[in-house]
Amino acid sequence: MAFEFRLPDIGEGVVEGEIIKWHVTPGQKVKEDDPLVEVMTDKATVMIPSPRKGTILETRGPEGGIVKVGAVLLTLDTGDVVAQVASAPAAEVSKAETSAKPAPESKSASGAKSLATPAVRKMAQDMGIDINQVNGTGAGGRVTREDLLGFGKKDAAHVHTPVAQPQQVAAAGVEEIPLRGLRKKIAEKMVQSKHQAPHYTYVDEVDMTDLVKLRNSAREIAAERGIKLTYLPFIMKAIVAGLKKYPLLNSSLDEAGGKILLKKYYNLGVGVATPEGLTVVVVKNADRKSVTDLAQEVDRLSEAARQNKVALEDLKGSTFTITSLGPLGGMFATPIINYPEVAIVGIHKIEQRPVVLDGQIVARDRMYMSLSFDHRVVDGAVGAEFCSYVKKFLENPALLFLQL
Amino acid sequence: MLETLNKPAVTKSLEKSDLIRLYTEMLRLRLLDQRMLTLQRQGRVGFYGTATGEEAAVIGSAYALDSDDWIFPALRQGGAALMRGYPLVEYISQCMGNSRDGTKGRQMPSHYCYRPANFVSWSSCIATQIPHAVGAAWAMKIQGHKNLAVAYMGDGATSEGDFHVAMNFAGVFKVPVIFFCQNNQWSISVNIKQQTASESIAIKAIAYGFHGSVVDGNDVLAVYSAMNNAVQQVRNGSGPVLIEAVTYRMGAHSSSDDPRMYRSDEEVEEWRKRDPVNRMLKNLEGQGYWSPQEQTDLEEKLNQEILDAVAEAEKTGPPPVESLFDDVFSELLPHLKEQRDSKL
Repeated sequence: MAFEFRLPDIGEGVVEGEIIKWHVTPGQKVKEDDPLVEVMTDKATVMIPSPRKGTILETRGPEGGIVKVGAVLLTLDTGDVVAQVASAPAAEVSKAETSAKPAPESKSASGAKSLATPAVRKMAQDMGIDINQVNGTGAGGRVTREDLLGFGKKDAAHVHTPVAQPQQVAAAGVEEIPLRGLRKKIAEKMVQSKHQAPHYTYVDEVDMTDLVKLRNSAREIAAERGIKLTYLPFIMKAIVAGLKKYPLLNSSLDEAGGKILLKKYYNLGVGVATPEGLTVVVVKNADRKSVTDLAQEVDRLSEAARQNKVALEDLKGSTFTITSLGPLGGMFATPIINYPEVAIVGIHKIEQRPVVLDGQIVARDRMYMSLSFDHRVVDGAVGAEFCSYVKKFLENPALLFLQL
Repeated sequence: MLETLNKPAVTKSLEKSDLIRLYTEMLRLRLLDQRMLTLQRQGRVGFYGTATGEEAAVIGSAYALDSDDWIFPALRQGGAALMRGYPLVEYISQCMGNSRDGTKGRQMPSHYCYRPANFVSWSSCIATQIPHAVGAAWAMKIQGHKNLAVAYMGDGATSEGDFHVAMNFAGVFKVPVIFFCQNNQWSISVNIKQQTASESIAIKAIAYGFHGSVVDGNDVLAVYSAMNNAVQQVRNGSGPVLIEAVTYRMGAHSSSDDPRMYRSDEEVEEWRKRDPVNRMLKNLEGQGYWSPQEQTDLEEKLNQEILDAVAEAEKTGPPPVESLFDDVFSELLPHLKEQRDSKL
């Protein structure tokens, strides 16, 4: 007989989970306790073991799909018709029945009173809704907050909410991707930043010729130590020098408290593109790390981020962020500040461009640098001074030794 | 002042049978926790908290108590109740909230109590049991009883006001209570380093005028010995004792928690080397008390007992609906009577 396995409430009061990975496919035989599927809720990511022995008939939902608690996750042929029913726990069967039973079409006709918690009853009262008119979708047919909100959206003609929520039908030629996980967080964060912080962006061009030479000569020694040396650690060093000289750039605004908080530590956020979306990993105490330390740390963190294994600790506490499009390049950009920081720098492709030097046109390694600032804290003049100070270190990397 | 209570026990010395009993209780708890967590993931139990990694602290401490001593548990002492006679089926039924659950499905799952063993119902609220234990112990003293109370707690509880109030009262009135702190390094996601600026938890006892001791919480014999000495002291009327058992929560805080969010796998692996169940197994083997065959047989026996108890608990129906109206008022109030009669 087919056993329907419903997603249990694996946290306390969890309402849904995201399918991370299926460990079984239809047709596969499983023993009791064999791993079925990995599910991520807002509390934890857990492996769900099979409650029964049998053959998988069907798995419901793709990896990345959202399943409601109580919804059928998979069906299992347990091969046993009579005994199975007898040994099924009474509570489980009755629960399955109640949640599978469609809510009655019309409550008022039957005259039955709706079940609901006092808080929901009060809410219905406040909304001017007769709760007995509402079809409950909660446990045992209880009217939930969501039922009321759904009901409130209907026209005033006391139309009963349909049993199943109408499927949102995508327009022809449009593919719908649900907004969730990292994508959703990025969306919220960006809106918050653009909303709270009045941005302005400042772009300058940097002559990287000397730094290119320095990096090329250091690359080999670094490689011998197993370190992949990019330009980023040098740029980080220059930024730290700038932040020390202009402490306002390493701050955040406590609007409620009416204070600017100057940070006395230098934790640099570095944007990393991952398959799920942009992740900012944090290099702690960048001021106390050498160029090679920084290189190793960035390497370790970005690798962890790409494999989705980065520790929470390494995603928190940045005071200033660098976003690098690296060789992808572009000329310049208008980066969005990693709120509540007050500044961000975008660094672009280094390429040879003709410039006039001492009256001669020569080929030099040039790079654009785009900085966005929060004007509430950083005025244009301060932003420009910061940029030109950082630029000085990049154009004359010997100065970086002063920082070592 | 801060003494280590690792001296050999004064009266009770442990025989081979005691050692095997201690090991058996620890292993039962380990296997039971594994099974129960699996049941939780399968939706057969609503919630569960394991004691994995802390078996020595739970079992070793409770083993030193007399049957009429009182246990005020924190959150991971279910194994102590089992050792004191709490039937396995009832333990599992409590997690299912069925009619064999002594708390009739009204407690949170994995929150046990067992009256016949003086094992008080545990509370998810942190540290509330500590003043209760002190009050109960104080009553025992006033009534001239020779028994005592143990207040179990985690490291997080020591930051609560209840802890300090209880410690102070216990010290002033010299009540027969043992404060037993299972310092498992993590209060959900808060590490012990963020919990206190003191060099240890045990040292806090000094401020309240009594003895504190630190014991290796992953060594069941050390825990037993420390507890046994404390029991002697407390029974002699010399006032309370605080024991800090340094141990480690190897699993999640509960089935709702994901420790990978806040601690490293390396740290867990480091503590796995000090696994208390494994340590006791090595001890038994080293003394020639235990063979691989005995190990296999015991595991099989315990697992079978657990499976049988789960099957039996799953066959048990929910508590009767009318029981909803019981146990609050000695005589049902009219409006409740009306509700009950209209529904039943």
